Amino acid sequence: MKTQKTQKIRKIRKILIANRGEIALRIIRTVKELGLDAVAVYEKPDSEAYFLRFADEAIMLGDGPRKDYLDIEKMIWAARNSGADAIHPGYGFLAENADFSEACEKAGIIFIGPPPQVIRDLGNKVVAREIMERAGIPFIPGTKNLSSGDDGIKNALAFAKTAGYPIMLKASSGGGGRGIRKVQNEAELKSQLPMARAEALSAFNDDNIYVEKFIESPRHVEIQILADRYGNTIHLGSRDCSIQRRHQKLLEIAPADLPADVIESMHQTAIQAAHEVGYVNAGTVEFLVNPKTNEFWFMEVNTRLQVEHTVTEMLTGLDIVRQQILIAEGNHLEIPKERVQLTGRAIQVRINAEDPKNNFMPEGGKRVEVYQSPGGPGIRLDGIVYQGYKIPTDYDSLLVKLTVRGYEWEPTIQRLKRALNDFLIVGPRTTIPFYLAICDEPDFRRGVFNTGYLDTHPDIFKYPEPEREIARLAKLIAEIHSKKMNPYAA
Amino acid sequence: MKISRETLDERITPADFRNKGAAHVLDKLRKAKGFYLTNTERDLSQSDFKNRIMPHTQILVSAERNAAGFFSIEISGGASIHVDMLRKQINPIEKLEILSSYMPDTIFQTLCRGINLFGYRPYPENVIRMTVQSFARYIQVWRVFDFLNYIPNMIPVFEEVKAAGCILEPSICFSTGPEHTNEFYVRKVGEIIDVTGDEIILCIKNHAGLGTQRRMGDLVHAILQKFPDLIIHYHGHNTDGNDIGRTVEAVRNGARIVNGGDHAFTGFYGPPPLLTIIETLEDYGHHAMGIDRQAIIDTSNRLRPEREYYREFESQFLGFDPTVQIHKLPGGATGSSFEQAVKGGFLHLMPQMLQEELPKVQVELGNWWSVTPGSQILWTTAVNNVLKKARYKDVNDDLKNLMLERYGEFPFYKPADWIYEAIFGKDWKNIVEREGGYQKIEDIDIDIERRVLEHRLGRKATDDEMVLYLQHPNDAVSFFKFQEKFGKTWALPPRIWFHRGGFSLGDRFEFPDAYGKLHNIEVGPQRRTKAGDFITYVVIDHHTEPILTTMEEDAKREKAKPTLSAKEISALAKSGDVRSPIRGTVNEVPASAGSDVAAGEVLVVLEAMKMLTNVLSDVNGTISDVFVSPGDAIDVGDPLVMITLPG
Repeated sequence: MKTQKTQKIRKIRKILIANRGEIALRIIRTVKELGLDAVAVYEKPDSEAYFLRFADEAIMLGDGPRKDYLDIEKMIWAARNSGADAIHPGYGFLAENADFSEACEKAGIIFIGPPPQVIRDLGNKVVAREIMERAGIPFIPGTKNLSSGDDGIKNALAFAKTAGYPIMLKASSGGGGRGIRKVQNEAELKSQLPMARAEALSAFNDDNIYVEKFIESPRHVEIQILADRYGNTIHLGSRDCSIQRRHQKLLEIAPADLPADVIESMHQTAIQAAHEVGYVNAGTVEFLVNPKTNEFWFMEVNTRLQVEHTVTEMLTGLDIVRQQILIAEGNHLEIPKERVQLTGRAIQVRINAEDPKNNFMPEGGKRVEVYQSPGGPGIRLDGIVYQGYKIPTDYDSLLVKLTVRGYEWEPTIQRLKRALNDFLIVGPRTTIPFYLAICDEPDFRRGVFNTGYLDTHPDIFKYPEPEREIARLAKLIAEIHSKKMNPYAA
Repeated sequence: MKISRETLDERITPADFRNKGAAHVLDKLRKAKGFYLTNTERDLSQSDFKNRIMPHTQILVSAERNAAGFFSIEISGGASIHVDMLRKQINPIEKLEILSSYMPDTIFQTLCRGINLFGYRPYPENVIRMTVQSFARYIQVWRVFDFLNYIPNMIPVFEEVKAAGCILEPSICFSTGPEHTNEFYVRKVGEIIDVTGDEIILCIKNHAGLGTQRRMGDLVHAILQKFPDLIIHYHGHNTDGNDIGRTVEAVRNGARIVNGGDHAFTGFYGPPPLLTIIETLEDYGHHAMGIDRQAIIDTSNRLRPEREYYREFESQFLGFDPTVQIHKLPGGATGSSFEQAVKGGFLHLMPQMLQEELPKVQVELGNWWSVTPGSQILWTTAVNNVLKKARYKDVNDDLKNLMLERYGEFPFYKPADWIYEAIFGKDWKNIVEREGGYQKIEDIDIDIERRVLEHRLGRKATDDEMVLYLQHPNDAVSFFKFQEKFGKTWALPPRIWFHRGGFSLGDRFEFPDAYGKLHNIEVGPQRRTKAGDFITYVVIDHHTEPILTTMEEDAKREKAKPTLSAKEISALAKSGDVRSPIRGTVNEVPASAGSDVAAGEVLVVLEAMKMLTNVLSDVNGTISDVFVSPGDAIDVGDPLVMITLPG
């Protein structure tokens, strides 16, 4: 990978945000702070979406739902039409789509993210493995893409014989926790592989599958990196994202609580990995960590802004989206690595309109009748919820991300609890009481958790349903008011 | 004002009771060099405010009352258990738990109707025992009576109260007339002591405030002549304005406990003012034990402004009623009688009802005691006799049961034959022969009842909920459902709870909820939805919240079916189409689809005005349909059962 040594700057004036919801709003906020124009796009079901109110222009893409946000041609059309000279893809949708990055490049529009080839290389887990293996980066024992048909099963069986069960079937193009299956034995392997392929094909349009050794309840730790076009790469510290449900992150902490030498080694490995692929822009290098030995293995690189970038921003005080835009313009990294401060702790929780007790079933269609949010020291909110907000049935159920920042672990948890308790959300069920239960759980308080946390702590789900006595009394007052008497006293 | 060490030493508290037992408390009462006072809050509420005094008001003055030094406060029992659930939407057992935490130094007392517990009809023994056990957690003194002074009716309660270690206070109901002699009452006291032993308080229960001070003095004297160590509690009502006189003479003749109410809330049918009793007796040289006068004054000072919120529950007839000596209605039933007269449109007939028909019925039926449930039987009979312009016609089942002596023996004499004939028809002798006699109520299967309750609630029921359900099944279920929807609304002040008309835009209320957390609520704009319901915007703790009020129940009521006349209902019944003759609730459904019935068999038992009415089959046939089940609210003309006639 060649690196350009001379600075060639192309100033961005107008940015189209190829996304929706809280991340669209998050990006618009920085765009505005930079004094640039923000163009929002939307599908018809999002016509009344909150993020649109913050954009300078909004362009409807089509009837959706979801398919227009994934439509590269429409995005390019919208950018051209609005005169946007850059596109920020956010996370999800087209964010890690190399074709999109390439289409932008061809259209002469700056793609705020890594170059297409980097996305392509890292997007294919097997290619990524090969690159990292060459660089001597530790990775979990695994295979290349399995051959198709029976030969694939043979490859996998051979691997399992040496590495031992359980193993993981992973979609080569998968990501975000999707396209992963755990296999306990030979019979399961035989039955699950075709299903995994079918699933990968429909989800990622690529039926390639590879196999990895399954690590029992590891910790999930990732390093945020920033890289400019000139070979300068820095890290912004780590995030512990171990608390997950079925590989989907629920609560993220910056930095991860690991011995200094381990953390430092991970930082350097991440920077090395970024160098190895010629990484440009913001990215995340994910590792699995053995909770007992602190041994770590490279997992993958996410070539996008992460949902949990907020914890890193809270901890460092940096604006990652600003850095992304500056890097995309061709600037040298703004911050020397010595100035990156990693003091204190930050925690993010995703407050979703879901019922954790019912397998996190989304509360789609319900209306938020009352919304009051916390404030005060150390609180950051990234949300699109408001009084009257209707939980969409076509999109995700995220209401608001709450990020708190403190110095020590214990007071940071107290702050998180305080902030969660200060929310007043009437209407849908939310994940708030679930997070409150985690805040009170002794292992979490001691900082001891791994990716098996929810399975090993089922009592978390036994929280009492929040009840607002006063709301019930108010209901009676409203009834007396409407019926002009108290029917229960007569 | 600081009260003296001696006064504090005179007091009797729940701690004495817990640590030293009931015998110690009785001993202290016996040796006292003065008299003790009971604050009959429950009776004041029941007699003068239709039982509506809210927990909010009771909590408001709990500190002052707790400091006053009463022997006890009667804050439970009588009709209050039912009204707590029916009109105040509070769990009567939970109420005691809360109030006892606010008044930790005051003994709680209840009034229990013996076999009728806190209801209107005899309960099975296992229900009685379960109920006493539940309430005994918070009630130390049990005042127990039977409207016929029939001792077997009180025995299960006596036993259970003793078993719980509580203080037993058996009562003799008091009335006047040639039969009501000292000899009779002294004999009754003897019969009670034979059953209970003498470790009791004996209550003279003068529920109507009958007799003069001289009569009461004589009675206390006569009882103590025979039983000199007996602790006598005189309980009276001030209906004729003369209960201070009776109270004074009772104490002068040896009664140890008397009762009164807080003067800010005293009315015309309940207890006389505590402070007047204290002052008067002091002048006679009788000391009120343990009493802090200032605390009694403070209680009333704090209560005064609250009385206006209860105005609509005060009697329609204000003023003392010395004619109580004629009609003998108990204080607790006087207010509700007037309420019924207003609702039934016969207020103008009240002088005739009270001063002519009721005393006549009373004498005709045996001159026993006009107190629950007997007072309801006498009153309903008198009202029927006047309104139907025919005496003892179509009487209710409670009177029939009474005539058959199913509730107990007549204490003095039986009603005349012509009354039996008017009620039971020509064949009355055979009926009395066949069906008469004391009716022992069979135990019910509590497990089955629990399953029924849990089915109706759709969840597990607690033991306390079971107890309440067994007292008043339908009203308890309605209350439990109310509480699920609205929470602990007893925390609301009476000015909200009893509010009439809509609130004004911007009306603000500030009050602590049941958990002590202070809130404010402001009533905002209201709009009507297309469906005819209302959305009210209420500002709760500074945020606006829309609240939907469904009006469909009202709409259902408004869309009333054309009401059938009694004639039409009776004609339909002859064709097998059985309709409800009254508005009320379904109590029991003996009829089942597919079975054969004969004319005269009971199809459905309805309940209205706390009275049961049987709906009988007019025809022989096969039941093809049953449209109702227990608990259903029914209106006049609603279909109950369909009978297919043979052929």
